Amino acid sequence: MTIKWVLHWQPNAGTTVNSQILNEVSQCVESINGVKEGRWKATLTFYKPIIREQVSAAEFPREFLGITLPEQPNKYYFVIRGQKIVLEAEQNIQAIMEKLQSYKTRVALNFEGFQYQLGDFQLRVGKVVPMQSESLRGIVMEMEYLPLSSLEKSRKMLEEFFDIWQEALSKRSLPGHFLHIEPNFTEFGLSDGYTSQHTAVQYATIMAQLIATAQAVQAVRN
Amino acid sequence: MQQAQKPLQTAATPAHGPSESRDSTTVEAPPKQVAVAMDRLSNAARLIADIRLGADRLLEALFAAAQPHQSTKPLHLILKEEASMRQHLQDLRTIGRQLEDSGVLNESLRSRSNSWGLHMPLVCPDGAVVAYAWKRQLAGQAGASAVDRTRLALKAFTDQKRRFFPHLDDGACTESVSKKHHSSQVLEVSHEEELNEHKSLLDFLSHLEKEVPNLKVFTYERLDWLKRAYSLLSSADESIIESSIGHTFHSSNNLRQGTVGIVAAEKVAIIELSFPSVFRAIVSLHPAGSPDPDAVAFFSPDEGGSYVHSRGFSVYHVFRHITEHAALALQHFLGLRTATVLHSLLHWICSYETLFSKVCSKCGRLLSMDTQSALLLPPVHRPYHNFFGKKISSSTQQSSSTKDSSTDETGAYHVGCFPEEA
Repeated sequence: MTIKWVLHWQPNAGTTVNSQILNEVSQCVESINGVKEGRWKATLTFYKPIIREQVSAAEFPREFLGITLPEQPNKYYFVIRGQKIVLEAEQNIQAIMEKLQSYKTRVALNFEGFQYQLGDFQLRVGKVVPMQSESLRGIVMEMEYLPLSSLEKSRKMLEEFFDIWQEALSKRSLPGHFLHIEPNFTEFGLSDGYTSQHTAVQYATIMAQLIATAQAVQAVRN
Repeated sequence: MQQAQKPLQTAATPAHGPSESRDSTTVEAPPKQVAVAMDRLSNAARLIADIRLGADRLLEALFAAAQPHQSTKPLHLILKEEASMRQHLQDLRTIGRQLEDSGVLNESLRSRSNSWGLHMPLVCPDGAVVAYAWKRQLAGQAGASAVDRTRLALKAFTDQKRRFFPHLDDGACTESVSKKHHSSQVLEVSHEEELNEHKSLLDFLSHLEKEVPNLKVFTYERLDWLKRAYSLLSSADESIIESSIGHTFHSSNNLRQGTVGIVAAEKVAIIELSFPSVFRAIVSLHPAGSPDPDAVAFFSPDEGGSYVHSRGFSVYHVFRHITEHAALALQHFLGLRTATVLHSLLHWICSYETLFSKVCSKCGRLLSMDTQSALLLPPVHRPYHNFFGKKISSSTQQSSSTKDSSTDETGAYHVGCFPEEA
């Protein structure tokens, strides 16, 4: 599988994220010769355990995430960050969970936007919106280098591409910047060859940041 | 010429243009123009023949002047010839200008509507004169006349050479032969060690694999390659599993390495050089079993399928660029006419191990926007002029630090940063 870096937008202290920033980012991609290809969508769900018996809530994992990815329409990914677990399952696991009535959805988020092609690179720009509403909670980007599938060999290429991207974006003087946090994949039992499980772990990792951003949005609104 | 003129002039209407002294072709009727053009062309041909004769006479005069008994006769001859040559050339220039104006040397009059169905004669690029510029005639005449003219020109040239420069004939042969001897001696001296060390292709390949870490070399018969290309498609997913399970990869590698010996040396037609997770290069040999490469192509390690072969192109821009550059490098190595073409080529390919990690030697960056293709590319060019493969005999004694410095010497360049001399 091709290498992917997932980035999220970190607004400056005191500012929030809005659709204006999203437009600027999209325009910036097109200004570095990105060719718009199509739409993409991923989803992320926070699960809450349904506690029936006298079982202490502490036994259940605090952050239990379920993720769907556009490049694997038949798979469903589970990530428990606290215990460094990532699991790839078939799509019908959601139906099974429904039947078992073991977990229910606490928060569900959509990541959706446009996909751009720049030679051997592929960029995705997406907004983060809760499933039921239209309010923008955050901005994510996926940066992909197609010819390679080894994390180690592609690191320098993606670093330089990230630098070029930051440079292009800084000309627009936006109140914030994109951050890349590399999770420790080996802790999750993942190897150097990139897979969709790596993507799922990256999304789970940035969730903490996104939640902080969203809370800041709430605070500003209130 | 006369026969051509008569029917044309009888077909002409009373619109006789002014006399030939007026060169304005706009007033003359097409048949007259055609006749005039044909006339001028024949004059030009006569002048050219005169000039050729004049050149012959000059050479004769020079030859005579070189003889031991000197007299003033050659000098007179030369002066006379020079004067007449000058006149001929002047006349030729005039006629040439007239022909150009009347549109004979280019096709500018083809589209004229009132040409009465007649076309101006056309002088084709190869010198054939086509009276009627019909396409079929054009093709046929040009082809046939080109062959004839070449034959005549070659005959004339060799005759003159034999006549005026007899000593060159033998001298040329011996000179080139002695040159070859000298160069081959030099080659033998410098590459003696290397040639002795790998007497066979398979020896050389296994030596290469041991010398360059991370390199995997596989050989195939020509018809077996397609199977391998298809298996690459399905193993694209398995390669991840392979690399994580170190042991089994090694054992399967041993199996594959075993094929280096299993494929008989005289049947080896395809060499696959693979740097896992970086690239895969396919080199084809022609004829099979010989150390003569004839094509090379680069691919992503994940690519597979029937388009993956030594004359195929990757779907990724970076590897497409490298393949194009490699074709130039291969031509360069072949042009050097040494015995170590394959040796140089494979070592040059190995220099691409650092494709995604080595910054450009000119601008110091890894990624750069190539203005021609509007793509972001790593340094895809590696210099191949003055490229000497690493001395195999000394590799075992080199420490790892010196090995690194020797790879740094090769340098890497972006498409736009590539210096012309390198």
